[in-house]
Amino acid sequence: MLALLSPPGGHSPNADDINTLYWVMLVAGIILLLAINGALLAVLMRFRSARGRQPRRLVVRRPAQFGTAGLFAVFALAAFVLGVIETDNAKKVEASGPDGLQASTLITAQRGLTLPVGKTAPLEIKACGQQWIWRYEYPDGTYSYYELVVPVDTAVILKLCSTDVVHRWYVPGLSGKFDATPGESNQAWFKADQQGIYDGASYAFSGTSYAVMRTRVRVVDVPTYQSWLQQQAAGIQEAQNFVQQANQEG
Amino acid sequence: MADGRTLAPHRPELVTEGPAPSRPRWLEMVMSSDHKDVGRIYIGASLSFLVLGIIAFLLMRLQLAVPENDLIEPVTFNRLLSVGSATLIVLFALPFVFGLFTYVVPLQIGARSLAFPRLASLSLWLFVLGGALLYVCFVYTPPEAGFNAWPPLSDTVFISNNGVDVWITAVGLTALGLVLQSINLAVTVSKLRAPGLAWRRLPTFSFSAAVSSWTMIIAGTAMVAALVMLEIDRHFGGVFFDPGQGGAPLYYQHLSWIFFTGCYLVFLLPAIGAISEILPVFSGKPLLSRRAVVVSMAAIMPLGLLAWMQNMMSASIPIGFLYAAMLMALLLVIPIGAVFVNWIGTLAGGVLRTRAPLVFSLAAISTLSFGLILELIQSVIPVNWLLADTTASTAASGYVLVGGPVLGGFAALYYWFPKMTGRVMGEGLARSSATLIVLGAHVTFIPLFLAGLEGQQVDIFKFFEASDAINAMSLNAYNLIATIGAFVLSLGVVLTLVNAYASLKSGVRAGHDPWGGETLEWFATSPPPPHNFDVVPDVRSDEPLRDIREAVRRRDASGAAPAETREPVA
Repeated sequence: MLALLSPPGGHSPNADDINTLYWVMLVAGIILLLAINGALLAVLMRFRSARGRQPRRLVVRRPAQFGTAGLFAVFALAAFVLGVIETDNAKKVEASGPDGLQASTLITAQRGLTLPVGKTAPLEIKACGQQWIWRYEYPDGTYSYYELVVPVDTAVILKLCSTDVVHRWYVPGLSGKFDATPGESNQAWFKADQQGIYDGASYAFSGTSYAVMRTRVRVVDVPTYQSWLQQQAAGIQEAQNFVQQANQEG
Repeated sequence: MADGRTLAPHRPELVTEGPAPSRPRWLEMVMSSDHKDVGRIYIGASLSFLVLGIIAFLLMRLQLAVPENDLIEPVTFNRLLSVGSATLIVLFALPFVFGLFTYVVPLQIGARSLAFPRLASLSLWLFVLGGALLYVCFVYTPPEAGFNAWPPLSDTVFISNNGVDVWITAVGLTALGLVLQSINLAVTVSKLRAPGLAWRRLPTFSFSAAVSSWTMIIAGTAMVAALVMLEIDRHFGGVFFDPGQGGAPLYYQHLSWIFFTGCYLVFLLPAIGAISEILPVFSGKPLLSRRAVVVSMAAIMPLGLLAWMQNMMSASIPIGFLYAAMLMALLLVIPIGAVFVNWIGTLAGGVLRTRAPLVFSLAAISTLSFGLILELIQSVIPVNWLLADTTASTAASGYVLVGGPVLGGFAALYYWFPKMTGRVMGEGLARSSATLIVLGAHVTFIPLFLAGLEGQQVDIFKFFEASDAINAMSLNAYNLIATIGAFVLSLGVVLTLVNAYASLKSGVRAGHDPWGGETLEWFATSPPPPHNFDVVPDVRSDEPLRDIREAVRRRDASGAAPAETREPVA
């Protein structure tokens, strides 16, 4: 039962924040749900029509009403404060860990994310949505489609952009959902704690083939990442050479 | 019943019935600007659209019953999605409750007509025209831009055919009609109340009509403006939502979410109003605190509307605005919680007569509690990042749609059907219908919530098996169960529609007050005459009909001549 209700396991600090708050709200919600439906059922059982009985009015004084409202207000405010704290936590980009990539990249001003203070800067990758695929561009200009390859234990900032319609990036277990809207800048970040494959998709309706607009994050160790990057760059170079040749010949 | 101050004041009353109609009955009804005719056509048309919406919904669920299904082509699925969601929200839910308002509110406040009778028929025919347009286009090009037609996708660059134009026109005409009718109802409730019917004595359903009308006046106009701008962008060289030329798609998102948030409130508020009216009648005691319910309804509207950005937590909006939206959404727990506490307090200690309106009200309260609590969970930003745009959020809004306009609206239909037609709807079918709807809702929406937790998107034409075996198994099972549940749910809804249709001709005849109601509409005959009341009574309390019964009883006891008029059923 509990396994069914659990969200995808968090593999990034911000995903952990999200999951923590999910559990808090879910438990509060289930308590409220049981209270309301339990009371409804009890009242229905107890007060079914019976001959000769007269309806009995409950008298509720005003302090009791304000007390009930106050209880709900305390709950709402507590949830709000907790929500703000966890949102703030989830927006704080953590520094890369010891196993992560220790490189420094150029940092542009980030709106909406708090950056770590320290020597190792996060890895900044451009994630562009287009109908119906995601394109990832790495700091050195190498790019890949569909699959994003990142080193483990490294803070990765995704700069989201869109070349056509509104897309929404989300990989369960790594981060929250963030829009890629044409003309707007938006960021997501994650720091994967485990190597492996994470499947995600676009979550904003984008036309005919919306359902096939999926993506995959492959988390590898640092050497593998670097060799993959070189391979990918070489592959792109080769393809460009081929096209150039073909153009010259044609 | 012309006796005593409570019954009839001695003041001149002018009732004009006009000459007997020479035209056929249906033409008379179509041409009529009587609120009762307008209201009945509103209800009839919206229930017909409900059937069409259910068909679209079932086709989509059939496509999603198994992974990578090829039953329906992607484009066809997107068309069903665009037309189906517009049908369920704009052509069923809103017109259905506004039809109930149009019929019941003037009777309930002791008015002889609406404030602007012809405006009511204009709004009705704008809605019918809009709805017809949306379906006529199936022989031509249906819209395919999704549930709220966001630009740039809905721009001519991406969808150049005229389907989107049809969607814009249909939704725009209906929204315009609803705004006009909202103005009408707001003025009616403000200005045409019977003598003595102060705001504090206004029946909760009429109060919910006033609040819903103000919601629609705000939200509907925002949508009409957005649609006009979208159409200008599409065909008249506008750049309102064009990111390349100083516009922004985000503007449309804001405006359309204001509208759909307003729709959401109109799912909720009339249900609250109707249930708060039905529970006292069927438990034999007044609302626990009428003032608390009324104040709550008045608070839900501004808080709910101000929380529209709750749907845009993933957009690039400065975080301060999102915190404000989250605060508004969370504060909603106070008025909504107060309403639930009041409902349970009203039932407790009463003598419950479990007739159809009460059965549907109880079903609505339980179903709404599921939907609203799922919404509450999602209103916290990080949880919203987890659940928004997955089928978990579909589950939440689905529960509210089924609990509000479907179960709550049907409770109101069962309650006021005798007033509208002079006949009571069948009890047996009512019970099976309510059971199937509640059962179907859970069987549909609980698996959808769990699938959403795994990350299944909304609006997709097919779902894929997840990469790991355990999730794949569960996604397949969830979707199959949800499809079965959708059929059970739809069967339940259809049973009530069949019940209503059959009862028109063969229902048990009802007197003018079959339930022992406390509000003024039960003072009129069933169905009421064109002018509603021969005499409008003075209202001296929250429960005018109780006063009238009391007066009649006192007069009979004092040995005076028996009442000449039909005695109200106590």
